[in-house]
Amino acid sequence: MIKLNQINKIFSDKHQSFHCLKDLNLEVKQGEFTVIAGPSGSGKSTLLNIIGLLDKPSSGSYEFDGQNVAKLNNNQLADIRREKIGFVFQAYNLMPVLTALENTEMIMEFCNVDKKVRRQRAMETLEAVGLGEFKNRFPAQLSGGQQQRVAVARAIAAQPLLVVADEPTANLDSHSTESLLDLMQSLNQELGVTFLFSSHDPRVIDRAHRVVHLQDGQIVKDVCTNNNDQQVAV
Amino acid sequence: MIHKLALRNLLRNKRRSLLTSLIIVFAFSMMILFMGLSDGGHKAMIDIGVRMGLGHVIVQHPEYRDDPALSHLLDNPEQLKQQLIDTDKRLTPVARLRSDALIQAGRHGVALTISGVEPEIEAQVSAIADKKAIVQGQTLAAFANSTDLHRLSGIVIGETLAKNLEVRIGDTITLTVKPASGGDLARSAFEVAGIFKTGLHELDTFWAEVPIQDLQALLEVPNQVSQIALYTSAGSDNVAQLATALTAQFPTLDILPWQTAAPELYSAVTLDAAGMYLLMLIVYVVVAVGILNTVLMSTFRRQKEFSMMIALGARASTVSKVVLLEAIYLSAFSLTIGLALGLWGHHHFATQGLDFKEVFGTAMEAGGVLLPEKFYSTLEANKLSLSVLFVFVLTILVTLIPAIRAGHRSPVAASQES
Ligand SMILES: Nc1ncnc2c1ncn2[C@@H]1O[C@H](COP(=O)(O)OP(=O)(O)O)[C@@H](O)[C@H]1O
Ligand SMILES: [Mg+2]
Repeated sequence: MIKLNQINKIFSDKHQSFHCLKDLNLEVKQGEFTVIAGPSGSGKSTLLNIIGLLDKPSSGSYEFDGQNVAKLNNNQLADIRREKIGFVFQAYNLMPVLTALENTEMIMEFCNVDKKVRRQRAMETLEAVGLGEFKNRFPAQLSGGQQQRVAVARAIAAQPLLVVADEPTANLDSHSTESLLDLMQSLNQELGVTFLFSSHDPRVIDRAHRVVHLQDGQIVKDVCTNNNDQQVAV
Repeated sequence: MIHKLALRNLLRNKRRSLLTSLIIVFAFSMMILFMGLSDGGHKAMIDIGVRMGLGHVIVQHPEYRDDPALSHLLDNPEQLKQQLIDTDKRLTPVARLRSDALIQAGRHGVALTISGVEPEIEAQVSAIADKKAIVQGQTLAAFANSTDLHRLSGIVIGETLAKNLEVRIGDTITLTVKPASGGDLARSAFEVAGIFKTGLHELDTFWAEVPIQDLQALLEVPNQVSQIALYTSAGSDNVAQLATALTAQFPTLDILPWQTAAPELYSAVTLDAAGMYLLMLIVYVVVAVGILNTVLMSTFRRQKEFSMMIALGARASTVSKVVLLEAIYLSAFSLTIGLALGLWGHHHFATQGLDFKEVFGTAMEAGGVLLPEKFYSTLEANKLSLSVLFVFVLTILVTLIPAIRAGHRSPVAASQES
């Protein structure tokens, strides 16, 4: 589903340039539950931004869901993000003026899903993440863990192919972290949604089926622990 | 959804939205109120000016304006009047003859400009010596028609003039003029028929009217008049076009609209209108700055939110619409309330009128014309709806740039930590 080929990302301004991702190759298949692991500054967010079509690589080719996305304009990219990708960010995740239910509905509304269908699916999703009774609360009235659950509900309610989550547990305590991971894992198993997330927390990394180790913008190790503990060194 | 987002974001900072709204409501309702009162005041001023011995359009001998001598009079006024009516049925023409004169009673004498008028018609169109203005005695028309036998023709004079001459109703006044023949002074006696009060110093002290035939006889200018004043039932709005149209028909005559015939009145009215436009400009600026300030403050703190919406797949136009809608809701809400308040005030002054003495203490004169004691607010639907529309368009214009900028936030920012 995701095919990155010789991806480079160079940040540059007037005074300096920074080579963030270096000749990076990565393939992710439908239904994976994969973590991008690596120390802070290794380029995890940059990589996820490119995979999530939020940012463009400086060079290299990227094929998402069988489509080369290099030549697409901003609105076309937005269309793909809306229809096929769900996002969970580290912070500032929800619209503060919308309730949990309305936040969950938001992307479907952008997709012009019929109001009745939308309501029902949002409600079901919110119940699936265990927040049915909090549907009318605003983000400020929810804990950090609950907010991230709403964000996950919002990401999957529109039934995307891929959910990209950049350090979703960075601001959560260990209990909330555990239950968010349980949630993501069960959604991955039950619905077959591909999850791609980043973390530098060993407890989170241990839960993934595949761990892609990133260091200084390069993949140094790619470990599959899914079924038969097979290891692939890159 | 975008409506919900726009409305909730307005309510998110209730105090700021309310303050902006209050400023717009206040400015807009004041503008409507002033617009109505100013237009009403002008209308009243023009009407009264036109009725104080002026006329909507004045027809004169081409040289009379520069040299108001008896050699520059109009001949055959009746024929000319008929020709004028034939061009426009809504016109009421009235002939007047004016001349320098000395007016004497006992040992007092006053030099002034005497007016010879057609009493019946003059009483219908002019307010100087009509029934309402006469405080003692009767109008020239009533005096001429009365069954009492009078030795002399009647004269009506202003209240202050009567006091200065120490005359009362029924007393005799002598009028001395220099006739057209250029010979000896001519003299004739009149009976004080009525005393009027206009409240205008100039008129009450130096104005006197006698029947036009008597003055024509005295000046030896039978069948000649100084001017024919035209009053039109169409009102004072299109007077300039009327004058132009008449000039085309009667190229040998000097035909002036009231604006030219009474430049002091005209400049007083236009100066005031300029003030009104300045006020409107201020209101527009207040509304524009109020909306812009609110939009800038609210979008500045929500850049992350816009990035997030775009990251989640909202198109740029969707985000821009949210920002635009906020401004539109705020402006529409404020304008509606401002309009309601302004119209309520307008309704009050349109039915009750505004008492000038109440506002300014004493009657005040403008452009040599007494403002009416009371005048009534008038609003032109066109002007009003145009300014509502303009403010609305202004709202959208000032919001456009912040709205477009919000729509073009980079989605990458959504993933970055604060
Ligand atoms: N917009 C940018 N401009 C310049 N440098 C950037 C930008 N974004 C990220 N970087 C740099 O790229 C490196 C990798 O960043 P990031 O992808 O955020 O790493 P991680 O998420 O693994 O902590 C960092 O050194 C960071 O300073
Ligand atoms: Mg990061």
